[in-house]
Amino acid sequence: MEYLSSDKVGIIDLATREIQEEDLDEELVKEKIGGAGITQALYNRFEDEDPVVLGAGLLCGTLVPASALGVMTAKSPVTGKMCHVPLTLDAGVELKYSGFDYIVIKGTASEPIYLWIHDGIADVEDAKDLWGKDVWASTDYVRETMGDDLIQVLAIGEAGESGSEIAQVCINYWASADRMGFGNLLGKKKVKLIALRGMGLLEIAEPEEMIDACQALLTEVKSGAFAGKKGIGELATAIGEEDLGDWIAPLVHRHSACFNTPFASNTFVFLDEDPSKVEESAVPEPGFLLTDIYGLLGLKGLGLSAADACGILKACAKSGVDPAAVAELCEKSQKKDPEEIKGSLLDLKGPVESVGQGPFSPWAPQKPLSKEFGLPEDGSEDSTWWMRRQGVAYIFGIHPIFALMSPALSEEKLIELANIGTDLDFAAETLDQVISEITG
Amino acid sequence: MNLYEEFKALNKRLIRGEAVPFFRAPGRKEDHRISPHDDRPLHYPRIGIYNGAGASHSWMWFVEIFDGMGFYDLVFLDERAVRTGGLEGLDVLAVSGGDTFAIAEALGREGARRLSAFIRGGGLYLGSCAGAYLPLHSSKAHLKEFNYVRAKISNLTAALPDARCLREKFCTPYGCSFVFHPVRETLELTPSGVIPFEGIGSFLAPLYGGPPMVPLDGVEVLATYSGFTDKTLFLVDKDTARNTVLHKAAAVRKTLGAGHLYLFGPHFEHPGFPIANQLLAEVIYWEAGRERPLGRTDEKGPQARTLLRNVKREVSNARIVAAGLETMPVQWKIGNKVYDPTKIRVFLEAVWKRLRRLERRKALRLVETQENRTVVSAARVASILRDMRRDMKGEGVSPQKAAELFRALNQTCTFFLESYFSAELERFMEEPLE
Repeated sequence: MEYLSSDKVGIIDLATREIQEEDLDEELVKEKIGGAGITQALYNRFEDEDPVVLGAGLLCGTLVPASALGVMTAKSPVTGKMCHVPLTLDAGVELKYSGFDYIVIKGTASEPIYLWIHDGIADVEDAKDLWGKDVWASTDYVRETMGDDLIQVLAIGEAGESGSEIAQVCINYWASADRMGFGNLLGKKKVKLIALRGMGLLEIAEPEEMIDACQALLTEVKSGAFAGKKGIGELATAIGEEDLGDWIAPLVHRHSACFNTPFASNTFVFLDEDPSKVEESAVPEPGFLLTDIYGLLGLKGLGLSAADACGILKACAKSGVDPAAVAELCEKSQKKDPEEIKGSLLDLKGPVESVGQGPFSPWAPQKPLSKEFGLPEDGSEDSTWWMRRQGVAYIFGIHPIFALMSPALSEEKLIELANIGTDLDFAAETLDQVISEITG
Repeated sequence: MNLYEEFKALNKRLIRGEAVPFFRAPGRKEDHRISPHDDRPLHYPRIGIYNGAGASHSWMWFVEIFDGMGFYDLVFLDERAVRTGGLEGLDVLAVSGGDTFAIAEALGREGARRLSAFIRGGGLYLGSCAGAYLPLHSSKAHLKEFNYVRAKISNLTAALPDARCLREKFCTPYGCSFVFHPVRETLELTPSGVIPFEGIGSFLAPLYGGPPMVPLDGVEVLATYSGFTDKTLFLVDKDTARNTVLHKAAAVRKTLGAGHLYLFGPHFEHPGFPIANQLLAEVIYWEAGRERPLGRTDEKGPQARTLLRNVKREVSNARIVAAGLETMPVQWKIGNKVYDPTKIRVFLEAVWKRLRRLERRKALRLVETQENRTVVSAARVASILRDMRRDMKGEGVSPQKAAELFRALNQTCTFFLESYFSAELERFMEEPLE
């Protein structure tokens, strides 16, 4: 596989610590395109060994707007079904440039380990010094040990280590889109974290044409409904929760976007310092990056103050628990005291509706975020439309929330860009087939 | 076919023992004969590159151009190797930039004796920048052991002009005087018409502290500094620069016994300057090489892949840390030379890109003379870099630590390149002619 690819699949056997490498079969790419299309195919190939498959969308890491998405595919320990979790922020792009297109992690380690994936090398490292550390300390540890703050870390906390069903795989210090209990899964496999770093390059079949096409698309995208808007508050407004923005406004320091994504869906709030201060922070951990709209809304629904809710989100990320599940369980058990909630994170149990039931994480709002898609106002087609739209996002590597915002990122346009990038002549029928396979 | 590919194609014929006269070297017209010497046969040379104490990173530039041109019979020598007979069997010794005083001190009297014997016995010495200063007559300790070439330098002064920029690279103390560097970067040179510096017009080459020379007895001028370019960086006022540099010798030749010294003020080996590179190659063809059977090593296929992966692991670890250090505003003075973090990756990238090239080969040969030495050395580099990163967040990195790092980098590169060129030589010998 020559273009948009490292041409390598890594297969890691946790029990034996053996690493095998295969070339990425171009015929597989022609048939399954990329992202969840291929992670699912690899999952099926190694299904008997309970694999976790990491991969990036075909266009991830390019100049295509919102090309941020990596994918983690595995059987959810909560639902018992194979599903896909999106990897956002900079994790997807780092995976794309890590020197592997796809990584299959199979079996179970006999002792806690972590994976260090760098420039086409997959190392299995002992994690005995890490086991028991929270997510933040784990991320700090591996960045310090390996010597680079740009390392992207997918980590579990004590929740994953102890088998909590609401354990989440976090990205660096922040909550992820894992609503499938993958934190529990990695904990069972004794995988503390997966560290990613790559300094590679991707070849593009037609680079100048690609640049021109992406620039034109970006211009179109930036003139859409979300032009000039940013932050989790605006995202909340788009799903009908207009007062969330005002609720967190006193804490807001800045907004940030996932890789190359034209809408900044993440908001950094200061909890231990005045966010209006325009100078270097005197506090080592002044705040928290809000990356999960439903976790935040769930805690708001408990009647908490914004500061208390964000403090709980920070505690969730450190422990590695799904904040939406925490909010739901606390509502059911009538917990409203912030300190009591923080103290109970590892003990919360019970069925939760916020867990994903389908193939894709419900972390992204389950409806279009722009009227420009032209869907009926009554929402009758939202569910079917959303499923297909997420499929497209997970295959091509488009941010799953931004995919709901921008009709300019049409299927036709993404196929066109994929062909410019790879020279593989994908057709709409192929995309239909792959979407059908991954949506079941 | 570009110039480097032409040299590679020619070298492929030479390595098979084909008789090719000089006038058929790339860039030369078939019917162009300068003198009766034009039909001297070319031979495939064994080239030594000095990368011991005092050498900076610019020895890698020789590696780059030799790799690109198919000169794969390379030997890397540190000061100990020179002192203990490492020059025997070589046709060429290339000494690039660095700290001339440190090189001289490291080689010492025995190194000077060995070097003299090598040249007098028919060897070719290529010295650029510090390598050019080394054999120029001097009364200073250590340097005076290497008085092979009578030439003065015009950038020696007791009254330093004002430095406009790059003060840390502007001058070096020399007794009661200073060797100063009026300009850096690209200059225009004009050849003198002496073989092999004939048949071409003015060309460009980069200057990074090398000498503008005023030759005395028995020293031939091959090229002079004829002009500045829009890329020339002036460290002093233009009049001083003009008076110091222009019309002085940029390249000279001295015969010593049966051999020769070619001294270059600019770096003719810098990979970005193809005509200068071509002239270097032609000097080698013109002066060096002899008929010699080339040895072979054992093929080690599957183990070669494991070795490759293990080296790649450690070099990747080192590159990742090194890239982060480049954003930190720090420099280190090691001897008389100033180093900054960008120099670290010069060494690492030289290994990295060759690792990637080897990875893509279906049949891979890679042999180490001592098992795992490259892996161990590269792991040490990564470890030192991580220590340095931690130190930078605290009290800073000592010059001693930085010196330790650059020694380890040098060693890693040397170990790897020895294996790499040994493998490339074998592959080259077996590849069919196109």
